Amino acid sequence: MKHNRIKNIFKNGIYLFLVLCLLLGLPLISSCAGPSQPTQTPTSPSATPSSPSPTPTKEEVKVIRHTDSWPCYIDPAVGSDYVASISLCNLYDSLVFPNPDGSVKPWLAKSWTVSDDGLTYTFNLQQGVKFHNGDELTAEDVVFSLQRIMAIGEGYGYLFTTSVKEAKALDKYTVQFTLEKPFGPFLGVLVRLYILNKKQVMANIQKDGPYGEFGDYGKGWLVTHDAGSGPYMIKDMKTEEYVLMERFDDYWAGWENKDAPKYVKEIGTTEAITVRTLMSRGELEITDQWQTSENLDAISKLPNTDLCSFFEGSVLNIMINTKKAPTDDIHFRKALAYCVDYQQIIDKVFPGSRASTAIPASVPGYNPNLKPYSLDLTKAEEELKQSPYYGKLDQYPFELHWVSEVPDEEKIALMVQANAAKLGIKVNVVKVPWASVVDNLAKPETTPNGVIIFVSAHYAEAGSLLESRYHSRSCGTWEQGEWLQDPEIDSMIEDAIATVNLKERFQKYYAVQEKIFDLCPTIWVLEQAVRQAYRKDYVVFPAAEAMKQGMPVNPVMGYNFYYRDFKVFPEKAQQPYTSFQP
Amino acid sequence: MKLGSFLLRRLLLSIFVIFGLSIVIFVIARVVPGDPARLALGPRAPAEVVERLRQEMYLDKPLPVQYYYWIKGVFSGDFGRSLVTKRPVLEDIKEYLPATMELAIFAGILMAIFAILLGTLAARFRDTWIDGLIRIMSYFGVAIPAFVVAVIFMMVFGYFWPVLPALGRLSPGMTPPATITGMLTFDSLIQGNFATFWDAFKHLILPAVALSLGGLFQEARITRSSMVDNMHKDFLAAERGYGIPERVIMFKYLLKPSLIPTASVMGLDFASLLGNAFLVEMIFNWPGISRYGISAMLHKDLNAISAVIIIFGAVFVVVNIIVDIIVAFLDPRIRLSTAKGT
Repeated sequence: MKHNRIKNIFKNGIYLFLVLCLLLGLPLISSCAGPSQPTQTPTSPSATPSSPSPTPTKEEVKVIRHTDSWPCYIDPAVGSDYVASISLCNLYDSLVFPNPDGSVKPWLAKSWTVSDDGLTYTFNLQQGVKFHNGDELTAEDVVFSLQRIMAIGEGYGYLFTTSVKEAKALDKYTVQFTLEKPFGPFLGVLVRLYILNKKQVMANIQKDGPYGEFGDYGKGWLVTHDAGSGPYMIKDMKTEEYVLMERFDDYWAGWENKDAPKYVKEIGTTEAITVRTLMSRGELEITDQWQTSENLDAISKLPNTDLCSFFEGSVLNIMINTKKAPTDDIHFRKALAYCVDYQQIIDKVFPGSRASTAIPASVPGYNPNLKPYSLDLTKAEEELKQSPYYGKLDQYPFELHWVSEVPDEEKIALMVQANAAKLGIKVNVVKVPWASVVDNLAKPETTPNGVIIFVSAHYAEAGSLLESRYHSRSCGTWEQGEWLQDPEIDSMIEDAIATVNLKERFQKYYAVQEKIFDLCPTIWVLEQAVRQAYRKDYVVFPAAEAMKQGMPVNPVMGYNFYYRDFKVFPEKAQQPYTSFQP
Repeated sequence: MKLGSFLLRRLLLSIFVIFGLSIVIFVIARVVPGDPARLALGPRAPAEVVERLRQEMYLDKPLPVQYYYWIKGVFSGDFGRSLVTKRPVLEDIKEYLPATMELAIFAGILMAIFAILLGTLAARFRDTWIDGLIRIMSYFGVAIPAFVVAVIFMMVFGYFWPVLPALGRLSPGMTPPATITGMLTFDSLIQGNFATFWDAFKHLILPAVALSLGGLFQEARITRSSMVDNMHKDFLAAERGYGIPERVIMFKYLLKPSLIPTASVMGLDFASLLGNAFLVEMIFNWPGISRYGISAMLHKDLNAISAVIIIFGAVFVVVNIIVDIIVAFLDPRIRLSTAKGT
């Protein structure tokens, strides 16, 4: 009887076993049935990740695979965010090239002259520069590129629409720009004027576009193609998936660096588990900067992986509405500034970051004499007592918005709330989607008392942030929730930006910063560190090397990923490493 | 009523449903906060550029006029331009919809096969340890969301036991087949390119299994319950009396009528896969329409939002009609009643 029961259980179980094998064994069956794909399998499944010996034996392709956010706009007149800036500086050339100290060096322009009134810039171009399709780059292309970015007005276009009056080609290799008014940082801004091949773009325009004879100005075609002369060119681009760039062997500036990557793949994902998996399989050389510190810490524990952290001029602000009670009072604002535990936020929420004022230390023109606010509840109380709202704080709650798409901001909001409560200030923390934040900041009456927002410099100079953050012109945009509207500050910023002499200009920047610091319209929480993990066993990441040696990194967004300077030694790669085939 | 008339009536009703859906979603997309033109162009874009985009998208016109232009465009196959991808929405849909359809079809096939197998097993061995085990598995399968399964798969098959590709639809170095349907496995099979088929198939496995598990176990339970309910019906006693083998009774006479509720739920589950796939698509970097739709919503990409939801609505409608046909095939009462016109 007992024997029969066991026999039945065994017999019945076979059915279930077969079905489960089929379901759960599907991955195994498919993986064992024969490797048809040329890549994507670990080099040696039996090797442990900590295997000390380099395994790649055959000639490996030099590649950098890097994750980043999507969409990636590779049209120079459209893209302006982080991933776009990386792609643009690799696909295109500009007249000048940014240096780590914030100055520029000759690039497509081998020399230039500036008129005494600071209104006319004349550039002499390099001769023999080839676009990726073999056409020669001339002054006509420079004029076309400028006119195009100004006409389209997207991306970095605003840098030129407000400053340039006209551009003309004096001859094949000479181009002249005339400005509306003197603009001191103009040379620095020119790193964002990427030169396109006019002939190639015009051959690919759609005629029924909004730009008259230029149709769509090639916008449709340039979504997935390039028309540049940069060190890399588009090999393949799959929207929402990746941008694959290939080294341009005929690059005019040459390839002294023989170990530069042959291919660069910008993979469009920032999903934590995906990035971690890719890194652990050796299918990724550098992660994106959008990973949480917990995930980055976990990734950095993988074999042969290191963390790299540098600054590119991004400040985390609590913008305070100076036109609304109780934050219209300077003492109330200063009390708040003194009751934020900056160090705690840096240690716990944004490791690697540092204290900041209106202009972060990585941006040329920042005032080193200003000491950032720090936690001091005694000073906070002293300031609060001088406020007209003292004694009736319960009637004036401080409404603090944080952006729902950036969960770390909630931690900051709660820390502020806890410390402010010690002073009797009631902080109402509100989670708001980004689209609503933008809408709210359009008018002073809908702008909350405080809103937590990251803002970066548009070009590598203090004038960029001063103008975008504190000039009256930026009121109503998400870059200024302060509604400062101070005519004196406006004219100081305009005067500084119009100063052509660098030293004088920087002195003027210092004065503006001091003035703004005194008004305390913002709680400058920190300067954000750009952090990413990378493979240290076979990748030489110039920004990481510079940080190790205490040298400055490039302050212009994207240029720390100028892949022509990278070195890749796949033959030194230890496990795990997955070969790349384009 | 004949089956043809029945289907025609359903189709006509469906047109009204989709038309209503188009109005609702068009209005909702436009009344939520945020200026789409400003969001698309950034804070520093000159006002005239923002205004030009508003005019291009007719955002400066009243809502009914905007709707008129939009629906006019839709009828001529033009869903407008996406603010995120900067290209016609139709092009995006042509690229992303087949990717998600391929995922959903594969997940649907898995659901159908394993739900019926597990449900039949559980019913056949009801109240035994097999039934108990499948019940426990079902509880887990239904309770755990697809994205958690996706993360677990990513950890297991991507990290600890890397036997399957973890990202995208095709390995680097593989040439995609010429587009016929846009579904890589189908296209490569049609063109006899088995290496590409196998590669695309392997990329499908993890996301499709992750996506299918919830529906699969739910339908297994429904199949089991339905079969157990039908087991004591008179027609089965008669068949046993005729000496028909138990295996034949199970699969030929019991399973078919028991599949009616399963088919109905499976249809809805299949259509839901399209919308529910976005987290799975994000985790596996699968360039599908579901992820595209979520991205459109986050960026207030009006044309893309409207187009994606209309397409999801249309898929729901089509799948429901197919389910009705399947149910009519499975249930003679429905088939006969439509044929008699009752």
